[in-house]
Amino acid sequence: MNSVLDKLLAILRRDLLTAIRHRSGFALTLFGVFTELAAFYYLSRAIGPGFRPDGNEYFPFLLVGTGLYTFFVMSGQAFLSTVQEAQQTGTIEVLMTTSTAPSEVLILSAISAFAGSLGNLLIYLFAGILVFRAPIHPNPASCLTVLALSLVIAMAVGILAATIQIMVQKGSAVLWLLGSGLWFLSGTMFPVENLPRVLAMVARAVPFTYALSAMRQALIEGRSLSAMAPVLAPLAVFAIFLLPLAVGSLSFSLRRARQCGTLSLY
Amino acid sequence: MNQVVFESVRKVFRHRPALFNWIGRERTGETLALNGVSFCAANREVVALLGPNGSGKTTALKLVSTMLIPDGGSVRVSGFDAQHDSANVRRRVGIAVATERSFFPRLSARENLEFFSALDEIPRRERTRRIEEVLRDTGLEEQADTLVTKFSSGMFQRLGLARALVKQPRVLLLDEPTRSLDARATASLWATIRALARQSTTVLLATHNFAEAAAVADRILVLSGGRLLENRALSGQESADDLRALYFQQTGDRGIAMDPSSPCNEPVAARHRMESVP
Repeated sequence: MNSVLDKLLAILRRDLLTAIRHRSGFALTLFGVFTELAAFYYLSRAIGPGFRPDGNEYFPFLLVGTGLYTFFVMSGQAFLSTVQEAQQTGTIEVLMTTSTAPSEVLILSAISAFAGSLGNLLIYLFAGILVFRAPIHPNPASCLTVLALSLVIAMAVGILAATIQIMVQKGSAVLWLLGSGLWFLSGTMFPVENLPRVLAMVARAVPFTYALSAMRQALIEGRSLSAMAPVLAPLAVFAIFLLPLAVGSLSFSLRRARQCGTLSLY
Repeated sequence: MNQVVFESVRKVFRHRPALFNWIGRERTGETLALNGVSFCAANREVVALLGPNGSGKTTALKLVSTMLIPDGGSVRVSGFDAQHDSANVRRRVGIAVATERSFFPRLSARENLEFFSALDEIPRRERTRRIEEVLRDTGLEEQADTLVTKFSSGMFQRLGLARALVKQPRVLLLDEPTRSLDARATASLWATIRALARQSTTVLLATHNFAEAAAVADRILVLSGGRLLENRALSGQESADDLRALYFQQTGDRGIAMDPSSPCNEPVAARHRMESVP
């Protein structure tokens, strides 16, 4: 356990040092957060108080929806970038020959990537609440539960994207699907009930739909865990199912890449 | 005891056709990288792998490091099967690859070594001392806190060696380790390799440099087209010229070289070609 923690700390340190040495990156991210929030704030004011999706004001609805959805996309992107950069520099082959199992290296790297995105999400939410005065009534236990389940799902998605990157060098396609195809199906900016019936049914098969809905209930409405059972149960099922599937797929893809000699192809 | 054992090892790379391959001309089919290769490397032995480009030298090293899995036969390291017991093999093997930039560019040399040391499960209390040692041994003390993005090719190569050494591996794999090194660093590396062998490390070294093979190797393997053509123990008296002659005799390499002084790049005589080989 100590050894795993030691490795995780080494990976977190690597990613932190790399991030802060891209000097302009952090400042640009902060600027982007405030610009986006301002845009949503004024959009919700322009639409007016009459539009209350799921019974909530529109700005907090947008704040949670876009914040959590961006967290999913950014997490996957950050992890995928780590893998792609490692392929481009040739680091991935060396990483696979250390005393740490290849899948462990990648999973620890994923955790580190998600830690960065989680920081981003917290900045986004706090800025929305403190600067733009989004009205919320959080239930801490519910919020933490939803966040934990969302983290597991985000990790699974990131690992699946990395798996596809290693298998066919097209991990970015998964993130394209995430970035452009699923955001409107998962109720990021409007409730999925507004979609046509067929699309609403498809939306029910997307784990992010439940994550966004659950976080809104926990953070904006302050619902208890028991009151959120109908939305937490499918979210938990997705988490339990997706993570082992992703880890298994990753192990398979690494073995296949070692067989084919394609580990560092990109 | 033999530290590395290859038994009838076969490795094939398959080239899958791309979609719409008729639009381009991507190669399909198979490349037989190693074909029935068998050899052993004993404890404390330095084995040099010689052979033309594409002969299978790097593939052999990658099989030992577990980067690749053989398609046939077996590779054993310190008694562990590289395919089925790769965790134990990885703990015993250090590799310095020819890829120069296999480091994190925004980290310094020391930070890169600290990172890889953690993944190599080197105890925290030993890490600092070992890193200082390898930085000193590879002549990188002064550049220890420089971001590696500012490194030259030779410095990358030295850092690659430092990364392999910090693990104190039983088996050290070196892929063209002096390709970008100056004369002084090359001599220092050769001395390091001999010293490591005296301290019970087995070294497998892929090189095109006959002087290097003559200086450090106890045994040479000549590979060509994925086949092992020669497996010969050296007495220590062989010169680079002796190895060069053996190499060309074994590989039958009578390829066409170009006379750099001719504007038409006319083929030149074999004797002339031999002189251009390092």
